[in-house]
Amino acid sequence: MVTQYGIKYAVNLITAHFGDLVAKVCECLLRRGPLTLQAIVRSTELTSSQVKNSLLVLIQHNCVQAFILDQTGEHGDGAKQSTQYIALFDNIIQRWRFPKFLTMVSKKLDKQCVELLEGLLQHGRLTLKQMFDRARSGQNEGDDVVQEAFVKLLNAHFIERCPASEPVLTNPTKEEEAARKRAAKSGKILEVQETLEQRVVEAAMPTEALRFLFATETEPTADGGKDKSNSSSVTLGEKRKHDAIESKAESGATDEQVVLWRANIDEFIRHLRHKACIENVRARFDDGAVIVFGAMLEATRSAEKKVKTENSVPLSLSSIYEEVIKSEEGRNITFDRVRASLVQLSCPPFVKAANESYSVDFKKIIELAQHEEVESIVLKRYGRDAYRMFRLLSNSGHLLETDKVADATFVEKKETPIILYKLWKDDYLQLEKLQIGVKQTPFQLWKVNKSTLKVHVLDEMFHAAFNLSQRVAFELEQEKELSNVLQDKRVNRLRKRLLLESSQMKLDDAIMLFHDF
Amino acid sequence: MNAKRKRPDTISDSVTEQERIVHEVIQSKQDMGISQQDIKREINLHSNLIAKCIKSLVSKNLIKEVKNIHSRRQKHYMSAEFEPSNEITGGAWYVEGSLDKEYINVLKEQCWRKIYGLKVATLEGIADAIKRSNVSQIELSKQQVEEIVKALVLDNEVMEVRSTGTGEFASIPVGKACYKCAGKRGYGGEPKLGALASIPCGVCPQISRCTPDGMISPITCEYYKKWLEF
Repeated sequence: MVTQYGIKYAVNLITAHFGDLVAKVCECLLRRGPLTLQAIVRSTELTSSQVKNSLLVLIQHNCVQAFILDQTGEHGDGAKQSTQYIALFDNIIQRWRFPKFLTMVSKKLDKQCVELLEGLLQHGRLTLKQMFDRARSGQNEGDDVVQEAFVKLLNAHFIERCPASEPVLTNPTKEEEAARKRAAKSGKILEVQETLEQRVVEAAMPTEALRFLFATETEPTADGGKDKSNSSSVTLGEKRKHDAIESKAESGATDEQVVLWRANIDEFIRHLRHKACIENVRARFDDGAVIVFGAMLEATRSAEKKVKTENSVPLSLSSIYEEVIKSEEGRNITFDRVRASLVQLSCPPFVKAANESYSVDFKKIIELAQHEEVESIVLKRYGRDAYRMFRLLSNSGHLLETDKVADATFVEKKETPIILYKLWKDDYLQLEKLQIGVKQTPFQLWKVNKSTLKVHVLDEMFHAAFNLSQRVAFELEQEKELSNVLQDKRVNRLRKRLLLESSQMKLDDAIMLFHDF
Repeated sequence: MNAKRKRPDTISDSVTEQERIVHEVIQSKQDMGISQQDIKREINLHSNLIAKCIKSLVSKNLIKEVKNIHSRRQKHYMSAEFEPSNEITGGAWYVEGSLDKEYINVLKEQCWRKIYGLKVATLEGIADAIKRSNVSQIELSKQQVEEIVKALVLDNEVMEVRSTGTGEFASIPVGKACYKCAGKRGYGGEPKLGALASIPCGVCPQISRCTPDGMISPITCEYYKKWLEF
């Protein structure tokens, strides 16, 4: 769900990167949902050419996706197909994180990979030929160096093929809708409503086989070039067998000329998610447990089907041990120590054990981290008594009467409702009144509704992130105007900028915790 | 809850008819007592007359004034033969109608230290440890220990876990609730400061009214100004 300040924040980013015109089109789509070209023109009162150019920029930079909605008429009167454009909020807010992605690649791969990725992030999407041309004109590097870096990034899944330009989306039939609702009611499936944005992205995504596939013209290797574990290269002969790939040889164009590549945001977010989980473990456990935990993530990362995976693939104790001793810091850890660390990690239950195998409970770790973030806000904003009350209500998960809250938190009976009201007024608690008997004062019952609170806190975070960016812009303007000030004032200005920028980074980590993880 | 009584019910012959009526109303409330305002709601007598009756009954030791934690400003009266219930005194944690916060804080810290020493502790273990060390002159019931420990959980000083029967839980039956110190910080340390809480917007009471061009904005914000003062 996109919140009000989420939209403001996203539009602010687009304005900073692409200017007011493109931002206007983007804002129109964010506020009004998917629209046809004509509808955007009417709504923004821009010319058709201005809107088209803006859309091209936004599509190039993966901020908008075109799609065709196949609307079969209710009375069977032929399918209507119209191209619509949807803003990809989840992609837009990633634009702030590009420096984090580059840092990650610089740590895991090499300088050439960083430069190649930088080009992809700057331009949104490039063909391999465009990457070669860029490297030649910029860093004066040969094609083979670029291709080597490209393959490294591809093998690590940091880059991927671009999605289809206009996938067709069909509305579910009435029968399909009814069947899904019946199954959800009986508890057979968890009803997870996919947003339209998610459906469009899924429809546009290349198949898993194709997404990281790089067709080369090299001779087949001794094993037929079929390293299924991580190599994405196949020979031309192999490529022709794939039904999903158009035969480029027929048109005379090679893959390097027509296939567009872009940064694979999912993989970066997955790495950042893992990093956040490791930091959470580090805050609670000793170094040994951190190493064991990190090894489990390393061993199971490539098996994760989606970013928001709830549990890692189960691993046996010996598999975990094998992974632990691969790293330098894990080399001295004994088998027993690994076992002991796994027991440690079960309380709180970050790692679950079942049938002699262990898996990481990502959902639990992320939830705990989210609770800590919200509780920190409550503590700082409303004080320690409020903190205890909030934790009581959050942990209990059901309605509690005012006096019960007062008793459990050791707060005076008269002060308790005042604090609870403050939390309720700011949407941190829900209140229900229970009237028993006509003459008696109604009982007040309080509750934390975690799902609505999460949305509310996320909106506050977007608001704060928006405020920070406004303040940074203001401070930069001030700096320009006062460019001849004394040295000591300049140092103060630098300190201000560092504080603001580090706060932005930290807040963005929290936004990822609530929105992306 | 059984009302506590000191001596059999008696009425002095020297009370007036109005005093008798007022006394009967107060007596009917047993160990919960009643305020003057509520007496007026129950019987149709003028406030001044009720006040006069109350004063007379107190001087004759037929009723007494007690503290009620639910309404500290209003006086509360009870028939002399009853002891005030926990519901109006607040129980063990209240003194003179107010929470004994100092006492509670001392007990909290002591419980935390016992849990820290034991590494993993059940409620019985904590209660025993406190009894043996005789820190508190007053004996704590198991329920009172539980209330204190649960308050420590709410403070995030301690976490509640279930015994697995193995490892550090070896001596504790499987499934039994036990307690461990939370995190790596000592007692009383602040929990880690979250990202939103560490910037002015996170603690601002006016965040919902803040807009880029409004009276309250990030450019004009006084909290930002103080935060960025070097």
